[in-house]
Parts: sequence; structure tokens; C-alpha cells
Amino acid sequence: MSRFRMAVALVTICLVAGGCKTAEGTGTAQDATDSGGRITVWVDPPRVPAVNAFQKAFPDIPVEVNTINGNVGSTELQQKFVLFNQAEKGWPDAIFFPSNDDIAWASSSKINYARDLSPDLGDILAGYPAGVIEQCKIEGQFRCLRNDAAPDVFWYDQVLLAEWGYEPPTTWEQYESLSLRIAAEHPGHITGFVGDAYAPDRYLWASGCPTNDTASEKQVRINLADERCVRVRQLLDRLLSAGVLSSTGIFSPDAAELGRRLVMSPGAVWWGNFLFRDTWKVPAGRITAAKPLRWTSDPTPMTSSEGGGLWGFSRHIKGVQLENTLTFARFVASDPRWQVDLSVGLPGYKPLQKPWLAKQREARYLADFEHAAEAFVYATTIVRPDRDYTRYNTGTVWTHTITPALTSGKSFTTAWRTFSDRLTREARSFGYTVES
Amino acid sequence: MTQQVLVRHRSRTRASSAPAVRRVRARKGHAAAVLVAPYVLLLLVGGLIPTGYAVVKSLQNEAETGFGGLSSYQRVAGDFRFVETFANVALVLCVWMPLLLTAAVVLALLVDASPRRFGASMRFVYYLPGAFAGIANFMLWLFLLNPGQSPVDFLWHGFGYTSLNEVAQPGNLPFIIAAMLFFQGTGTWVVVLCGGLNGIPDELLEAAKMDGATAWGVVWSVKIPMIRPWLGYMTLLNLAYGFQLFLEPQVLGQVTHGLISPQWTPNQLSFTYAYQILDTPAAAAMSVILLLVTLGLGLLVVHRSRLFQDER
Repeated sequence: MSRFRMAVALVTICLVAGGCKTAEGTGTAQDATDSGGRITVWVDPPRVPAVNAFQKAFPDIPVEVNTINGNVGSTELQQKFVLFNQAEKGWPDAIFFPSNDDIAWASSSKINYARDLSPDLGDILAGYPAGVIEQCKIEGQFRCLRNDAAPDVFWYDQVLLAEWGYEPPTTWEQYESLSLRIAAEHPGHITGFVGDAYAPDRYLWASGCPTNDTASEKQVRINLADERCVRVRQLLDRLLSAGVLSSTGIFSPDAAELGRRLVMSPGAVWWGNFLFRDTWKVPAGRITAAKPLRWTSDPTPMTSSEGGGLWGFSRHIKGVQLENTLTFARFVASDPRWQVDLSVGLPGYKPLQKPWLAKQREARYLADFEHAAEAFVYATTIVRPDRDYTRYNTGTVWTHTITPALTSGKSFTTAWRTFSDRLTREARSFGYTVES
Repeated sequence: MTQQVLVRHRSRTRASSAPAVRRVRARKGHAAAVLVAPYVLLLLVGGLIPTGYAVVKSLQNEAETGFGGLSSYQRVAGDFRFVETFANVALVLCVWMPLLLTAAVVLALLVDASPRRFGASMRFVYYLPGAFAGIANFMLWLFLLNPGQSPVDFLWHGFGYTSLNEVAQPGNLPFIIAAMLFFQGTGTWVVVLCGGLNGIPDELLEAAKMDGATAWGVVWSVKIPMIRPWLGYMTLLNLAYGFQLFLEPQVLGQVTHGLISPQWTPNQLSFTYAYQILDTPAAAAMSVILLLVTLGLGLLVVHRSRLFQDER
């Protein structure tokens, strides 16, 4: 009996002790600490040059760099933050989130890591076009900074289209009909990739299909039966049946060979340098970009955004450590030594867009550069705002439902049904109330 | 003769004094305690305390502010991936366990029947794949699975696969993981079973032969029944291992850029609850469920294989 009592007492103590934890409010945490100057920065491999440039520019600020897994859709980062919260120490002062959805948990009431930047970085925030910084505005506070603006534009091989005598499409409907013609007249060439975690951004977000439309931390609207989802589903279905879309993802090793056979595709601004030039090694002077495709039935042209990394900063610091972290924040967002000289993407911070474009012009990689540059800047102004980053990752649900189904030869309609079903259930398992 | 001496010695000791006996017993008790203590300590730290903590945690409510009854068990059991994860593991076990058992027994019998030096070197060769640490073994598999780099690319081309994503598609996963586990673990079990076969007294085998048993008869009616507890032990440990699968599907999901669901096994689902959904009680509930399932299956195996029957 006494043993039983002891067990009951133990259980009670544990339950009570567990109950002592309460969620902290936003802003600087009560337990904020100051290292006296040293800052810790976590970045994925492509962002390491940003830190190196910062160290060169501010040699007096000691920086500890930690390189993290840069896989889109990777889930191991959040685990570390759960442990930091339990230990009440260990958070990085600045972090480049490998996946944009990371900002959802980093700013959630449970993890609550990312600080509100409005009080300290108001001037920087004002330098972003509204469509570029929109996703960082969470419940009225700016909890992150955009590294690069990554709106989707329309990429195409100018030389090939001219050779074949085709006009580049300007609407999704024209994109479909030209893709079908290419499938028939030039088999073996492709006009898009659908197998990566960014594919739902590229196609579904661009169409306005509600997959991630949050009203609050716990409420989301998902409706894949919406007309704007149906039209893009049917388009993808027809193009996949014609074999002109690849079920591979853009980051897949197989895409290198396929990328050289890509005639045209919607894709983010960073595709130019990162994919066409560096990954797929398409020769200079072939590829160019046009304004984003438009759905004929839509009253105004709209586009989506693919990646375009986010920087977050700790709310657990104060004093010199905070000052230095803010210096770092200003540097990565608005200093030409990183954003213009080294970054592969169009700067999110508007004043740097012109110098970045000037540098790209000199590089002479894209064909018809002025046309592409105009498309880039224009696209940053028309990103659909009603799409938020959520705790469930739509891209991950896509890659483990649509991609394997297509790889194993199942129909897109079946795959879509599974995707739709699992997306809603996944959102619910994260505690969202799903409205349609 | 020796026995007589022993009896005489014992009676003398008994006659000498009661406190001395107690002293001897106490010393024996101390020795046992010293021997067992490290194990008990590790069992507490690595087994009992975490299990107790998981049970307590699983009984909290979702916000972790108080008692929640069985609500966290309800949440995980109601999760749309709950049944699926167990089905996935069951598929892996269905492919892997019969293969493992058959191969380990056959290879062990062959090693046992081979001339000494040849048998010993074969035993070593079989053991080699198991000597790779988990992650090194996994990296090796990545090369094997990728048609672009694999030495067995003819196999993949035979199936019509040209990329890693085609090979590692979810439908093939039970076979891939079963193959990984098979090559990693079988050699070790061959060694263990050889130990079991070596322990069979020669007289027994000779008696069987004198009774007219063929080589096959000896294997079937003497050797296999004699190593039955080893087979039970092997099934027990591997079942537990199978239910705890985590590393293989997790890393394979990462290298294929998300082709495999991050909740492919029960352990991964528990991990998702702990570190993404941030519902620790549900994660704990999932662990407890997993423990009960493995414990139940374990007891069944122990009972069926009469694992501990011979112990006196």
C-alpha cells in the first residue's frame, strides 16, 4: 500500500511540476541574457558567405557560425528549439530558416523564439515591397526578414522557342496549349517540374488555391475543391498525361539532365542563377524571364513566391548581444556587400534591387536581360497575400503523396485526392481548425 | 570420492558455527549485489525511469497543465497515420523475419557442418556486414539503391528504374528496409546460432547417428530443436528492433527530398508528436503503446519458443 501511495505522490508531483510551465508573452523574454558581444548564427550552406561577409565588415563582433541542414522540408530544426526551450538556453541569436514554414513554429506561442522586429528595425522593414514582407507579418508583428524576393516569373528558353517558331505564353491557358504542342511536336522536352516541395507554391499558390490561408494561430482555410484549385489541378493533369511535365523535383539529382531539356516553366527569380546557370549548366544567352503567367479569368495578374529565405532573430537576448545581432540583421537584409555582391537571389530589400540587377546585367547570363529584370521587379509587387506559412508543411505533404504516386505510375487525380485528404488531416493533427 | 569430501566439508562447516554461515551468505549476497548493481543502475536510468516518466507524461492533458486521463491515447490512436505506421512495420517484419530466420539457421548449420578452418572463415565473412555501424551501413545502401552509382544497377534497370526516387518509392520501402536489416543483422545471428550448435553434446549426435538418423534427420530432429531457445531469443530481439524502426525511413525520406512520409513508422509518429506538433503527452502515449505491443509480442514469443523452460 505504501508503495502505491508513493507512486501516486510521484505522479501528482510530476503532473503539478509539468503544470508550472506557462507560455511567455511576445517581445523580449523575461529571461533575456547578454553575452557581452559574441553572437551565434545558424545558416544553411548557401548562406555561409553572408556570415563571412559580415565578419569581414564587422571584425570587432565575434561570431560563432553553425551550419545547419538546408534541405527544404527537413524537420529536425524544430526539435532543437523544443530542447532549447526546455533547457532555457542554447538558442541561436540569428538564424536562416531552411524552410519558410519554419517561421510558423518559431513565432508560435509554444516555441516563441522569433522576436518582433518592428521596434528596432522599422526603417529596414519599410524598405521591403509589401508583397515581399507580407508573410513575416504574423498577428500584427514582423517576426522575420526576407533574404531574397522570390516571386515566380515565367522562365523560357528564348533561343529554342524562336527556333521552333513559338511565341512565349502570357497566360496559364496559353502555357497549357503550348506545352501540349511541344509534347506533340518535340517529344522529350519538358515544360515544368512537379515533384519538389515548392511545386504547390509554384502552381497552387499562383492560382490562389486555398491551402494555407490562416485566420489565426489555430484556424486555417483549406479547400481543394475551390474553383481556383480545380483549374490548376485540371491543367496539371492534362500536362502530366501528355508527358510534358516531369514528376521529378527541381532539387533531385536527376533534374540536372532534365533541366537542360526544360523549354519553359513558371519558377522563382532565383531559378536563373541557382538552377539554370549553376545546377543545370544551361549555356549563357538562352534563358530569359517574362512576367508571371496570368489566369484569363482573374481580374488582376497575381503570382506566388517560392522560398526566398527568411531570417529570424532571438527574443532571448539583450544588451550588447542584442545590438550586435541587430547589426547582423541589418547587414544580411540591406548591405550590398552580401545582398548585391554575393547573393544569388533578387534582394527583398527594394533599394538594393537596382544595384543587384546592374550586377546581373554585367554577368551577361540571361538573354534579353532588360525584359527579365522588368519581370522580376514587377513580380515582387503582385504576390498573392492570402497565403501564410503554417505549422504543417504543404510542400512535404505534396512530396510524399503526389510525387511517389506519379513515380509509380498512378493517375494525378488519385494522387490529388490523397494529397487533399492528407493535407486537411495533417493540419488538424497540428491543432488547426480547418474551414473550407 | 570428491563428493564424500564435499559432504564432510559441508557438515563440518554447518557444525562449526551459525554466524560463520551467515557471514558467508552475507558475503555472497554482497558479491551478487556488486555484480548486479551496474545493471540495475543502467536499467533504472535507461529503462524504468524513462518508462515511468512516459506513462506519467501520457496521462497529462494536451496543455500539460494537469491530469488528462487517457485523452492523449485517444489523440494518437485517432491519428490518421496510427494504423498505417503499424501496417508499415508489419510489412517490413513479414518480409524480413522469415528471411532472417531461414538464412541464419541455414548458414549456421552449414558453418557448423563445414570443416573447421573453412567454417570459421565463413563465419567471419558472414559477420562482416554486421560490423559496419548503422549509419555507415546506411550510406553504403544509398550507393546500392541509386541506379546511377549502384554496382547492382542491372537489377534496378531490370525493374525499369532509372533514379533513386523510383527505387525508393514508398511501395518498395518494406523490401528495401528488410534488405538493409537482413544484410546488417544476419551475420551476427549466424555467429550466435553457431554458439548454440556448438553447445550440443557430441554424444547426443552420435547417439542419433547410431539410431540410424540421416544427416537431414540429425538436423531436423536434433539440432534445430536443441537451438530452439536461441531462435526464440533471436525472434524476440528482432521483433523489438523492428517495431522501433526510425533511422532508415527517416534518413531515406531526407535523401529523397521528402518522398517518404515523415511518419512512416510508429516511432516516427511519436517523434512528430514530440517535436513538430509539440504534443508531448501524445508522444509519450505513442511510446507506451509501442512498449505494450512489443511486450505483448515478446511474451508470446517467450511462451511459444519455451525460451526459459529449460532454466532451473
